[in-house]
Amino acid sequence: MLKYTLRRLLGMIPMLLLISIVVFSLAMFMPGDPLGGEIDPTNSDPEYIEEMREKLGYNDPIHVQYWTWVTNFVQGDFGKSTQYKVQVSELVKSRMLNTLFLGISSIVITYIFAFAMGMTAGRKAYSKLDHFIGGLNYFGLAVPNYIAGVVIIYFFSFKLGWIPFGGSHEIGLQPGTLEYWISRFHHVLAPAIVLGALSTASYTQFLRNDIIESSRKDFVRTARAKGTSESKIYNSHILRNSVIPLITFLGFDIVTIVNGAVITEAIFTYPGIGTLFLNSVNNRDYSVLMTLTMFFSLLVLIGNLVADLLYGIVDPRIRID
Amino acid sequence: MKKSYWLIAMMLVLTMFLAACGGDDNEEQGSEDEGTEEESSEEGTEEESSEEGSEEASGDGEPVDGGTLIYAIDSEPSGPLDINFYSSVTEAEINQFVQEGFVEYDEEFNPIPHLAEWETEDQKTYNFTIKEGVKWHNGDDLTVHDWVFAIETLAHPDYTGPRWANVQTIEGAADFREGNADEIAGLNVKGDYEIEITFDKARVNNLLNLWTYPMNQTAFEGIEVAEMEESAPSMTELVGTGPFKVKNTSAGEYYELEKNEDYWQGEPHLDGLTVRVVANTSVIGALENGEVDMVPVHPTQGEEADALDNVSVITYPGVSYYYVGFKLGVFDSDAGEIVEEKEKYSNKKLRQALWHAIDREQWIETFFGGYGKTLNAPIPTSHWIAADNDDLKQYEYSTEKAKELLAEAGYEDTNGDGFVEDPEGNEFVLSFSHYDTGNPSFETRAQALVQQWEQIGVKSELQMVEVQNYYDMIENDDPAIEAFFGGWSVGADPDPTALWASDQLWNYPRFNNEEADKLLEDALDVEVVGDDKDKRKDVYTEWQKLVNEEAPALIIGELEEVYAVNERVGGLEYDVTGFNNAMNWFVTDGADK
Repeated sequence: MLKYTLRRLLGMIPMLLLISIVVFSLAMFMPGDPLGGEIDPTNSDPEYIEEMREKLGYNDPIHVQYWTWVTNFVQGDFGKSTQYKVQVSELVKSRMLNTLFLGISSIVITYIFAFAMGMTAGRKAYSKLDHFIGGLNYFGLAVPNYIAGVVIIYFFSFKLGWIPFGGSHEIGLQPGTLEYWISRFHHVLAPAIVLGALSTASYTQFLRNDIIESSRKDFVRTARAKGTSESKIYNSHILRNSVIPLITFLGFDIVTIVNGAVITEAIFTYPGIGTLFLNSVNNRDYSVLMTLTMFFSLLVLIGNLVADLLYGIVDPRIRID
Repeated sequence: MKKSYWLIAMMLVLTMFLAACGGDDNEEQGSEDEGTEEESSEEGTEEESSEEGSEEASGDGEPVDGGTLIYAIDSEPSGPLDINFYSSVTEAEINQFVQEGFVEYDEEFNPIPHLAEWETEDQKTYNFTIKEGVKWHNGDDLTVHDWVFAIETLAHPDYTGPRWANVQTIEGAADFREGNADEIAGLNVKGDYEIEITFDKARVNNLLNLWTYPMNQTAFEGIEVAEMEESAPSMTELVGTGPFKVKNTSAGEYYELEKNEDYWQGEPHLDGLTVRVVANTSVIGALENGEVDMVPVHPTQGEEADALDNVSVITYPGVSYYYVGFKLGVFDSDAGEIVEEKEKYSNKKLRQALWHAIDREQWIETFFGGYGKTLNAPIPTSHWIAADNDDLKQYEYSTEKAKELLAEAGYEDTNGDGFVEDPEGNEFVLSFSHYDTGNPSFETRAQALVQQWEQIGVKSELQMVEVQNYYDMIENDDPAIEAFFGGWSVGADPDPTALWASDQLWNYPRFNNEEADKLLEDALDVEVVGDDKDKRKDVYTEWQKLVNEEAPALIIGELEEVYAVNERVGGLEYDVTGFNNAMNWFVTDGADK
């Protein structure tokens, strides 16, 4: 397995190189640059804009720009944000914590809901409750999260006042205090649910189907014949088997944590990687944009690797070397 | 593995698509309003309260001390907040409460003393006297050295911000920047509170152009100029002399300010003022719930905000205007002149006809919620140089008049397809460009113009151009751009030279008229106008009449600044330069909290 992991990791290098070319070209294909589109006669003059373009290297030939970017990137120099005027690494670091917090909360919430609903639905298959859960799930799958977000804010925040409409914590709380953390959970709840809606729905259905399938298997019949209680059969025998395929999703979840947050964060004015990414696209903040896209790509690759490795671990029948 | 590769590609594409859909007002602000009115967003002064033009807002009753006001902005401030380094209007929303300048502006945008008074005899050398006893938030005394420090920073070759233009007219600034001098010759410090500033030549707008903000020396001590922009005092720990000081910030989320008890004009009523980032989609709900007290809203949202019981909408005239320009030539930026004339729209009567064809009032009503009014020359009416509207041609909405003018110009329908042909009998198609931010109302409003032109028989085509590329294409006279939609927001200096003189890159229509250039030159020439404002205004009026008649661009209208304010907020006064000093603001339930 070690050998396999190493091989996969090595294989990532050419892949990342190719991705870097795609990311760079796509970034360059976007019309305009950070200095266009925002001309302000009271605030700058044509000479300054031209000077900045020269300084930032936008006038260099494309391959030179690419080479500069890649060599700096490999050395850990992600460049400086033209919009935020700070090093990209610092910028990302400052926002990463918020996004991780949101992502992890989202996963926890997803798993709690998915297990509760999936087990109920699987056990009471084809009952009214099952259909209700199924309906809810298909609704969750069908509604895009940017719409769900706005609707949730409208009802639960403005109409009912249960949750804050945005932000990551109550204004004025000192980081580190208990109140601060309670406030953070309170703020992260709604975006986390919205973010997790899609995976909750699919996990629930997945779990339900697997439980129904397992419940018809021989070992279940044997257990029943032996007089084992129903709850023990479901909670222990069946669940243990049905959870195995779900665990492998964890790899993909790593990806969802960061990527999925792009739109959700913007709607909930949550200061994380997602809002940063959107801003960088809007402002053609190349260094931030390309760093984040590379980072997302890397996550996808790692997520895939983790998923494959987990397959091997949970199901010894799958051999990966 | 192949799958993951695709995923990435798809993701990039998708996010770009979504970003375009998102294209919220954040984008719009930059491109649509074409920048900021930085001077005008500064607080007004208390003297204005009794003067004509300023109005009292909803706040009634006696000022109450205490409480916190939540001021919302819809896009996150990025980059440095310090006034000497900031670059976009969003950051100004924060530093306007914290930092202030030596000079303020009255409602006609005349400079008036604030932290400094000045005298000049020849408009070349100015003698400034700074108020004594003003303290920085960190306890330092404000002296003239802080101003010199600011100017020398801005003029430093390593300075990374956009403000060199504001100091380059000082005598010796260029030498300093090139490293030929250790100090700027035009700055003559006469004491801790007195300085004489000499410009390279006498100009009527030397003072308006000058950088009149100090920079705290202790805060930036030991930081190289190249690193100042990204240093803490510039990014988050703003130091100023204003009514509020920075207490706590959470980047991209909120900026908590607390009152400056030692403010030189007296203690502010509010205990605190928090600037909070609120997504555009949540603004109305947050206003209704009282979670936001005051917010600049886009004109199209004004009506919705006005409908709320606890909120009133206040407006004051802005200094931005929109126009439809025609490419009349090609500009060579190296030579700094217009090198080629374009024929297609060169007929004045054609342009006038197109102007008459637009129902501008209705257009403003529909697309800007009525928060604006029509304009006939490219000078917002709030500027003191604005010509009397009666002196200008009105270009009222009239399809008859438009058709008449078209016929006079020789544009007639010769092949019976319902659309006019040009005087040579060739098909004539007007190609109109508008920027695209993903906001669907932009296409509708552009389409509205196109339809009105078609109604007078001018076949028109609309192309929506991605906003980041739009102004680049216009600036470079890309042949794809013929007629285009544009807007400018202008600051305290009313002079339109940078936007309309033939030797300027930003004269996008490439309006080339010797008489107009001469008028603009005269208006700035100390020899011609001296310091006689009436004389200057007369010259500008002549210029506006000329532009109004020549119609290089069809000026559509000027917009108002629209704010939604909760009823509990009081003490607001406002005029064209913006709100009064925030020290006077209060919340009626402040004492309870």
